[in-house]
Amino acid sequence: MGRLRTIARRTFLFGSVAIAGGVAFGTYLVKRDIPNPLEDDLAAGEATFNPWVKIDGQTITLITPHSDKGQGVVSAQAALIAEELDLDFGQFKVSFGAPSPAYWNTAMASEGAPFKSTDQSFAAETTRSMMGGLMKVIGLQGTGGSTSMADSFDKLRYAGAVARETLKLAASQQHGVPVAELKTKSGAVILPDGTEIPYTALANAAAALDPVEDVTLRDPSMWRLIGKPMERLDIVGKSTGTLDYGIDLSVDGMVHAAVRLDPCRSGEIVSYDASAARAMRGVSDVLEITDGLAVIADNTWRAIQAANAIDVTWGNPPYPPAMDGHWDALAASFNPDQLDRQWRDDGDVDGALASGSVVEAEYRSPYVAHAPLEPLNAIVVVTDDTVEIWTGHQMPRQLLTIISGVTGHDEAQITFHNQFIGGSFGHRLEFEYIKQAAEIANQMRGTPVKLTYSREEDFAQDFPRHIAMGRAKGTVSNGQVETIDVAIAAPSVMSSQMARAGIPVPGPDMQIAAGAWNNPYAIPNYRMSAYRAPELAPTSSWRAVGAPAAGFIFDSFLDELIHAAGADPMAERIRLIDHDVSRKVLEAVADMSSWGGELAPNQGRGVAFVESFGVPTAEVVQVTATDAGIRLDKVWVACDVGTVIDPVNFENLVQGGVIFGLGHAINSEITYADGMAEQTNYHAHEAMRMYQCPEIIVKGLENNSHVRGIGEPPVPPAAPALANAIFAATGQRLREMPFNKFIDFV
Amino acid sequence: MQITVNGKIRDVDVEDDMPLLWVLRDELGITGVKYGCGIAQCGACTVQMDGLAVRSCQVTAASADGADITTIEGLGTPDALHVMQAAWVEHQVAQCGYCQSGQIMQAVTLLDTNPDPTDDDIDAVMSGNLCRCGTYPRIRAAIKTAAAKMQET
Amino acid sequence: MFLRQFAIGLLAAFTMSSVVFADETDVSIVPPAEGSVSIENGLDAFSRIYEVASHPRCSNCHVGADNRPMWSGPSYGRTRAHGMNINAGDSRIGAETIQCSTCHAYREGLNDTPHAAPQVAMNWQLAPVEAEWFGKSSDEICNQLRDPDRNGGRTMLELAEHLNHDLILHWAWNPGGGREPAPYSLQEHIDDLLIWGVAGFPCAND
Repeated sequence: MGRLRTIARRTFLFGSVAIAGGVAFGTYLVKRDIPNPLEDDLAAGEATFNPWVKIDGQTITLITPHSDKGQGVVSAQAALIAEELDLDFGQFKVSFGAPSPAYWNTAMASEGAPFKSTDQSFAAETTRSMMGGLMKVIGLQGTGGSTSMADSFDKLRYAGAVARETLKLAASQQHGVPVAELKTKSGAVILPDGTEIPYTALANAAAALDPVEDVTLRDPSMWRLIGKPMERLDIVGKSTGTLDYGIDLSVDGMVHAAVRLDPCRSGEIVSYDASAARAMRGVSDVLEITDGLAVIADNTWRAIQAANAIDVTWGNPPYPPAMDGHWDALAASFNPDQLDRQWRDDGDVDGALASGSVVEAEYRSPYVAHAPLEPLNAIVVVTDDTVEIWTGHQMPRQLLTIISGVTGHDEAQITFHNQFIGGSFGHRLEFEYIKQAAEIANQMRGTPVKLTYSREEDFAQDFPRHIAMGRAKGTVSNGQVETIDVAIAAPSVMSSQMARAGIPVPGPDMQIAAGAWNNPYAIPNYRMSAYRAPELAPTSSWRAVGAPAAGFIFDSFLDELIHAAGADPMAERIRLIDHDVSRKVLEAVADMSSWGGELAPNQGRGVAFVESFGVPTAEVVQVTATDAGIRLDKVWVACDVGTVIDPVNFENLVQGGVIFGLGHAINSEITYADGMAEQTNYHAHEAMRMYQCPEIIVKGLENNSHVRGIGEPPVPPAAPALANAIFAATGQRLREMPFNKFIDFV
Repeated sequence: MQITVNGKIRDVDVEDDMPLLWVLRDELGITGVKYGCGIAQCGACTVQMDGLAVRSCQVTAASADGADITTIEGLGTPDALHVMQAAWVEHQVAQCGYCQSGQIMQAVTLLDTNPDPTDDDIDAVMSGNLCRCGTYPRIRAAIKTAAAKMQET
Repeated sequence: MFLRQFAIGLLAAFTMSSVVFADETDVSIVPPAEGSVSIENGLDAFSRIYEVASHPRCSNCHVGADNRPMWSGPSYGRTRAHGMNINAGDSRIGAETIQCSTCHAYREGLNDTPHAAPQVAMNWQLAPVEAEWFGKSSDEICNQLRDPDRNGGRTMLELAEHLNHDLILHWAWNPGGGREPAPYSLQEHIDDLLIWGVAGFPCAND
């Protein structure tokens, strides 16, 4: 804890990064103080201790800048502050806060550093810190990569502790009692005689003080909130229909817009005829925008109906019009010129492959849509001097830059109101829909415009998970896995996505390899090579990004090798793993599932282990091969995030991640024909529905030295665990998702 | 046309074929009912019409004329939760929450016809309501809790 | 004949206020003269009837005692059970589980939205279990259709009337939303039924 405390003070509040060196101007900027964004609009009587806590005479507001797209991170962030500040749930408001460089995400940048998350060597830690500094320069206030807890855990507790001690100091001065004799509880400072002075009554006095920054974080044994079940702050609103998402908002004088966008991403409208659309009831205008056309109407449905009524001819796609061309491009990418990076080359792979009997296999992972249930939407009003935006987004800071580029306003003239998000899975990292809303609003300055995508546009305009092809070879000897050589070819999702975000990402794309190179197995000969395919369909981060594809390829092939060796899939993985935290995860899931126990002849179990975002995760799937198809019986999951903030929400997220991984592996892909995504709605891309959902038993271990997020790590092992279970039950090896192309499910 | 929504009579002047979903959301400002797919594939727009669950994206305004509609807002409020909503809170069901209004409205109809459902019964009724976050295990548990509470009373 | 016109009159009154459902009033039920149809022509007519009965627009809801409708045919992808785990129950309208009408709402007018739940101006439902057609052979359906125990005890004319009255059935020829209609037309289908009936309901296995 001592070291963490030091880092918390130096890195998070003083803005210094605990390394020497770094890029030249980056170091200077990194060490410069970031202005506190709340000071701009402080009313009289308000005090701000730091950018995370705001107290006035009536209200305590906690700033929870990480976007909440369902992962419950607003509650978790608030709990971290409230833990140290001695607040109870119900005693404070929360706010997403304004976009600010002060809310930069250090953990997100760390994940971009090319070191295994399990590698805590000096070099790895130092590089992660440098990346953190770089991100601070960029001011990337991002939510993604399951980093919210890693980013917040020390920072927000420290913020709460600073606020608490400053309030105590204020009370001490007011009442002439030494700070050491003061306590805090439930939003009040307690004097030795038991008198309670609410924090709100101390706000003015505290405002006159320099914040007390020499604070000590509480020992975990003293935690009241962290690690205990909590009632999520959004749960009542989400159970009563009273919580507004972006799509539910309205602004006075607002018009509704729907778009008809180029499904081929050609950048060209060859011709269009909007006369029928213009004649429809409620339609006031049809506008040209960058990627297509927009209809303005007095009602969402009328706008969507009219957009559908436009007759348009689009240009040709900048990628192969049909899927064969996409797969051909991947197959052609396994060559030295397209080697993106050889991520690992332990032992003597070539020697082993030359001497032993070689097992070989090829795998495919398809494009998959994000398709969160709340269709993309945004309200924008542009005036000559201001831009105001209401939507839910995961990168508020970058959003200002992007919108500035659309409307020409200075970023300081742009106000962004972040909203609760009805699911994202990565889709709300994209900016196109907000750019379109801003373009429309910019053409009708003074009028608020609410853009709502139809579900069909949401599918057609998605940037799906990248496709990947794996070619794997290996050898076994004496009943053990001896050699694994996995090559994966994929387009770079990071370069596709970050190009749209306006952020350059030099160097190899770790996401091609994530889930395949970083698993802590001490296989004697272990090589992992990533090949970069040309950009095909535009792609974007999809929950867990690279690991659902690469993890499927790696772990499925490892399972093939283990079967070829005649070893037990669980025992051999445990034997090979050389990372204690990870081994314990596998041992836990073996224990939970009573691995090795009796099964019916038509049943089978598979295990998979994938480490992603620093969270080693192991899953066992049990299936029954019925006459009508495969039935998913039960899943056991063990993973290690270091500290579980809220065990109930944790279990919910793990179960959800498993369901997300299984459902898409079974049922979902995006395919292209004539340059367009063929799947237009959920009937063709439904992932998992309730009847296919197995019982899911979850265990969170806490051996990891770092606090990590749980939004993504349960996804990657789900597909290989299922494929391995189906092999165990039927002898059929599934090497391509979605599995329902090859076997029926009930 | 005239629709009774959550006990109030509302007059609307819209096209015959405007879906009830959009009458509720855009004409009447009742936004607990959600747009997810528009083609009865997700269930986010589920409301009760004359006591039965319907996908409001599939019900035309003309066929809702004279009907009695209950939305999630009419079921209970944050201060006075319906038994089903209380079970949803107890089990901390929601993640993103966008599907949950529809899930709850469908679940209420389920218990109206089957007060003590098994997992299979629940799966037979609730599989038309898509949850992209994967809260299904908790939905099952919440429905059973609500069923037990309703039987007590 | 009087009965038929009476029934059509009722239907017309019922749908008077609606936008379109023109089919029912356009159909005529005029059987060929008794003895005018050869067995061979009757069998030919039945082979066309079978094309209709086995078409996805019809057979997907003419399923067996498991009460599970099917999704098959062009625009539905590979043949599989209706998504969402749908089981219409012994009621064949989903009363025991989830009512078909939850999604297949009452609608007067066209189904123009691709992939939306098909709708007509009556309660969506499965055909009776006795009329199981999905995956059945021509002979099986032929014998079933002429068996009073399994055709609702209907005569030839009553079968034709039934075809004329059932709006779900009319939808099969005008399914909208990019779905492939059943072959021929409702009128041709009724004519074939009458030809087959006048020929004495012959089946190839006779």
